[in-house]
Amino acid sequence: MTGWRVLQVVLLALAALLHSRSATAHQATLGVLEFREMRPGVFIGRWTTLPKDGANRIELKMPAHCLLRLPELNCGDKGLVGQMTIANLGEDMSAAIIRVTSLNGETRSYTISAANPVVTVLGTDAPTLDTWLELGKTYINFGIDHILLGADHLLFVLGLIWIVQGGWRLLKTITAFTIGHSASLAATAFGWIGVPEGPLNACIALSIVFVGVEIVKQQRGEIGLTARYPWAVAFSFGLVHGIGFASALAGLGLERRILPAALLFFNVGVEIGQILFVLLVLALIWAHRRLGAVLPSWGAELPAYAIGSVSMFWFLGRLVRVLALA
Amino acid sequence: MSLRLRTSLLTALLLLTQVQIADAHIVSARLGDFYAGALHPLLTLQDVVAWAALGLLAGSLGAASGRWLVAVFPLGLCLGLALAVAAGLAPTPPIVDAATILVIGLLLAAALRIPVALLCMLAFVLGVMRGVANAGELVPQTDRVLYAAGLASAGYVAITLIMALVLAFRRPETEPASSWRGIAVRAIGGWLAAIGLMMAGLSLAT
Repeated sequence: MTGWRVLQVVLLALAALLHSRSATAHQATLGVLEFREMRPGVFIGRWTTLPKDGANRIELKMPAHCLLRLPELNCGDKGLVGQMTIANLGEDMSAAIIRVTSLNGETRSYTISAANPVVTVLGTDAPTLDTWLELGKTYINFGIDHILLGADHLLFVLGLIWIVQGGWRLLKTITAFTIGHSASLAATAFGWIGVPEGPLNACIALSIVFVGVEIVKQQRGEIGLTARYPWAVAFSFGLVHGIGFASALAGLGLERRILPAALLFFNVGVEIGQILFVLLVLALIWAHRRLGAVLPSWGAELPAYAIGSVSMFWFLGRLVRVLALA
Repeated sequence: MSLRLRTSLLTALLLLTQVQIADAHIVSARLGDFYAGALHPLLTLQDVVAWAALGLLAGSLGAASGRWLVAVFPLGLCLGLALAVAAGLAPTPPIVDAATILVIGLLLAAALRIPVALLCMLAFVLGVMRGVANAGELVPQTDRVLYAAGLASAGYVAITLIMALVLAFRRPETEPASSWRGIAVRAIGGWLAAIGLMMAGLSLAT
């Protein structure tokens, strides 16, 4: 057997191993968990449908103020408000439905899957001030988390700061980015527009590649599109990034009635995180100038190439994934 | 198809497969371990005091000396973390940490103009020590590369900002160490030395 054939066999074996997980996923089934309110804030719950093998593996998490000792769920005066999570879905149970029946007999159903393991509930009665505060706390934190943990969004903002270099122009550019992503986030969350996640993620990576190229152009003395119209570029790519933010929000299984408020709080969180990042970068630029710690002329283009290379790496990876799914 | 072409195609295919895996990892990890590495030292007293002391000392020596630490200190942190992970290097005993803070505090209080090479060596050794100490929180699930990147970034941000703040306050290039600003920074050095002394006493007592 030649080396080429050995390699082919090894590759086939590798491919088979990689696909073995998706093959077993077809055996998963659906679980149904019902909670019935017995007195205000106190529920009795039970699995009405539970796959044989899945029971021990799954992990049920209720809002922090609720005490769950099945069959009882006690949420006190606050009621059943906040996020419910079912972790470890996917191996034996592909999805679960949680049914909550309030004292007045009204039933609400929430679907949880391995891809979307969290669902946010707004209680069984009319929302109170506490409910809105809880919702605000949850989604502002989630927005901050999302932007600070999203390296691609931060890298794009870093590229914009690099090109615009502070002052009112930077404020206008960042505001344009905010308006862009807020508009598309709202439009996507309300279902007015929809873009498949795979190509969208590839476009987000490509937007950072674009910014990297623009930085190199600027350093070579050329005036690129971003240097000329930074707010237009920031707004346009803000639209793309906003759809990406919405996909994170969609993964939380929001009720339609809480969607506008959740969207608002989430966006506030994203803005807080973005402002923190911009301030940190500006502080570091100031510190470097103070220290006179600048890159030598031969390395001035390194950061731009680093941004471009990392984003191109992401773009290729995401493109391959899109093509593999096509 | 020639062998070279086939090999090239296969290599490209393998690389693309790797890209997908690596990217999936970045997306699924969502950089959580990066923040774990960045935030861990900020919650440890030894790190906060030692990093602040080093930044103050370097800043008080001027931009020409301090700017080297922008790279040297994070590198030391990374090396320390790597040594702890790869060679199982144990953290230094608390008395050594306390003594380091005491020495830096005394250098700052005495306004000694130590040479750049000595400052860099001090920063590097401190970086290695704190890098090893920060490896204690690693669990098997932690992504070591992201954790190291977070730790190094925190070191870089903290040292750079503290040095620049001291420079902005102290203006060492134009004012002597006996100016009121110089005395204020030296007083902080005295407090740091006292903290180091108390930590040393505490570590000997327990």
